[in-house]
Amino acid sequence: MLEFQFLFKLLSGICKIRPERQIIILLFLEELLMSNNPLFELSEAMVAAVTKAGASTVTVDARRRIPASGIAYAPDLILTASHVVERDDDISVTLPEGSKLAARLAGRDPGSDLALLRLETNAVTAQPAPGEASVGQLVLALGRPGTDGIQASLGVISAIGGPVHTGRGGLLESYMRTDAIPYPGFSGGPLVDAAGQVLGINTSGLAHGASLAIPVSLAWQVAETLAKHGRVRRGYLGIRSQPVEIPAAQQKVLGREQASGLLIISVEKRSPAENGGLLVGDIIVAIEEHLVADPDELFAALVGEAVGVPTPIEVLRGGQPQKLTVTIGERK
Amino acid sequence: MIYILASMTSNLNQLVNHVQRSLVMVHNGRFGVGTGIFWRLGGYILTNQHVLGRKKRLRVTLNDGREVAARLVERAPAIDLALLQVELPDTPAALIADSRVAKVGQIVLAVGHPWGQRGVVTAGIISGLGNATTHRKGEKIPIIRSDVTLAPGNSGGPLVNAAGGVIGINTMIVGGDLGVAIPSHVAEDFVRDALGERVGVVV
Repeated sequence: MLEFQFLFKLLSGICKIRPERQIIILLFLEELLMSNNPLFELSEAMVAAVTKAGASTVTVDARRRIPASGIAYAPDLILTASHVVERDDDISVTLPEGSKLAARLAGRDPGSDLALLRLETNAVTAQPAPGEASVGQLVLALGRPGTDGIQASLGVISAIGGPVHTGRGGLLESYMRTDAIPYPGFSGGPLVDAAGQVLGINTSGLAHGASLAIPVSLAWQVAETLAKHGRVRRGYLGIRSQPVEIPAAQQKVLGREQASGLLIISVEKRSPAENGGLLVGDIIVAIEEHLVADPDELFAALVGEAVGVPTPIEVLRGGQPQKLTVTIGERK
Repeated sequence: MIYILASMTSNLNQLVNHVQRSLVMVHNGRFGVGTGIFWRLGGYILTNQHVLGRKKRLRVTLNDGREVAARLVERAPAIDLALLQVELPDTPAALIADSRVAKVGQIVLAVGHPWGQRGVVTAGIISGLGNATTHRKGEKIPIIRSDVTLAPGNSGGPLVNAAGGVIGINTMIVGGDLGVAIPSHVAEDFVRDALGERVGVVV
């Protein structure tokens, strides 16, 4: 620390020295200013992080405006934002070293704004960060929207939120907000930690243009499903509901302490709910063994695996618990 | 961990103090203020050409508060740079770093006088290295993009790396984007040309 201060003192004195000698001293001083300088070490660490994650960050050209970014999920699979893939064919991916390749759409999930592209190459696969991100953590947003090479912006994780409905039939269990600047074309690119490991996928297509990041655990899960099935299935019941309090007397009849359930306020015609015998006025209290107290919990229970499966649903009808079996449909 | 942050903050502080010594405020009645930096000994100040307008003589305020007259040595509208000179002994020249080795991700600081506020520091990283097309002639020039916040008055001010070296001159030559800087090696070439120093090929 003292050394650093001393170096700047030296620098201040240097203007009194003859110009030709100055250059040599300046070069020497610059070397010294770089060593023993935690700020410079951090700077170099971030360069290393950008270089590492940048090797897996590609250009995705599938829309009319400027190209967007993507990240190598597997050697032949690129994960990107669904909203930047405006067309289903004539998609090209430019790898970091500059080769431009044709890619096919392997699948997309507008609910989480993710799309998976398949191409014949051997891309450097990105490394997902282990564990959860935390608020305050240093992050870099990366993108490769053009031919000028990798681009990056610095920030911290500002907030971790969720679950949130995305307005496209999706439910994000969690999402991250960062103050790193989302440059044009950053959608589909990674948000990485100081070690260059992927924390999430940046997108501005989920929250009316506001930039947020989809956590890598969720994104990788969606990518895996898209690689296998080409789409993410979501369960569908066909009801509207609202949370209501369950009176103490009825909790006693239920045989457990459950403060609220979901009152069905409408049932769509020929929906899985109608076929299964659910009625307006029923209060849903559980699906299988999961207790249901608000719409998000119902939503979370209607996962893709549940589609087509006869599922026990417990309701309160006329104050009495009743078990029905409903075959969950698929949300189109 | 806390120790690292504390020592980084202290380093930042010293670095900023050092850079601020070489900073000048360039006055242009009609265009407001801009920033300039003592690029080398002999009172040579580098700033943006658009800060000057068409003036050849103007006033600059040094970091110690002295207000002196400066004359125009040379200007390069294509890269929005101008070299000024003040007649003063021992002006504190900045440490100039080589921008040819700049990399995306490096920590950078912008120091300048946004909206006329003196010596304001904003921090960020190098966001991208690329080329920009100039407004006037459509020439391609190398630029450094950064995510530091800039405002009118930052123009002509230095973009500094983590070792305190100037790697670029912040400019508004290419509109739209935040934080565009002319790399120091381009600026140094301009200064050498202006002073008739350039000999042979720079490798």
